[in-house]
Amino acid sequence: MPNPVDTTGLQEKFDAWIGFVEANHHGKNNRINDEIAFQPLKKPLSESTVALVTTAGAHLDDQPPFHVETVAGDAGYRQIPHDVDQSKLRFTHTHYDTSSAEIDPNVVLPIDRLNEAVAAGRVGAAAPFHMGMMGFNPDPSELQDVSGPAVAGQFSDAGVDIVLLVPG
Amino acid sequence: MCHRSVGLVQGAIERAGMPTASLSLRPEITFGVRVSRAAYVRFPMGNPFGEPDHPEQGRLVFGALLDLLEDATGPEFVELPYRWKRWEKWL
Repeated sequence: MPNPVDTTGLQEKFDAWIGFVEANHHGKNNRINDEIAFQPLKKPLSESTVALVTTAGAHLDDQPPFHVETVAGDAGYRQIPHDVDQSKLRFTHTHYDTSSAEIDPNVVLPIDRLNEAVAAGRVGAAAPFHMGMMGFNPDPSELQDVSGPAVAGQFSDAGVDIVLLVPG
Repeated sequence: MCHRSVGLVQGAIERAGMPTASLSLRPEITFGVRVSRAAYVRFPMGNPFGEPDHPEQGRLVFGALLDLLEDATGPEFVELPYRWKRWEKWL
């Protein structure tokens, strides 16, 4: 196991960041997870189906882009098939530099790495689809109350065992 | 804000019964939002799995996430040893 993160001062930095978001990005209704929910693995990784979530603004070229022009943010989500032609991926997000993702989507949505892990027998299978989201949500209440449970439900219905999540 | 969004979706997925792990480039946000398993890597925003077209970097980070899933017996927030510069030293 790698070293634990030194958490000294992180709560104060988080509180300051919330203040920054409220002052500069019309932030409101800050949400956190009330408790840390922790599920142990139900079966070995080598028998598990793994899905990916990225909040880097990933969607397909024929799906509606995320709304990035207003302070409202966009709590929506887009299903991205695992066998997607990666040249059809787009990254609509104005709060990080998307240039690396546009060159190589695997820097934020590691479909090729997941395929390698499956081929090596480390992971049982890739999920039939992954989820693209856009992380700029100054008011995260819809994300927590609606989108999060909806994404979880779609993965559960698809037989997903484990989910890996990646920011932009 | 991507990190708060990741953390809230991660919490929803765990509460629905599926184990998760996430990457973080902003440890204070990941810490504040409270998640089950996360790995902090000191890479720039937009590059959580390293530089584009350098799959050897992404493989290390992806493998570290899989390790975290297998090794964590309770909530864990770890820091990966990789650095943006001199990445060849990782191999």
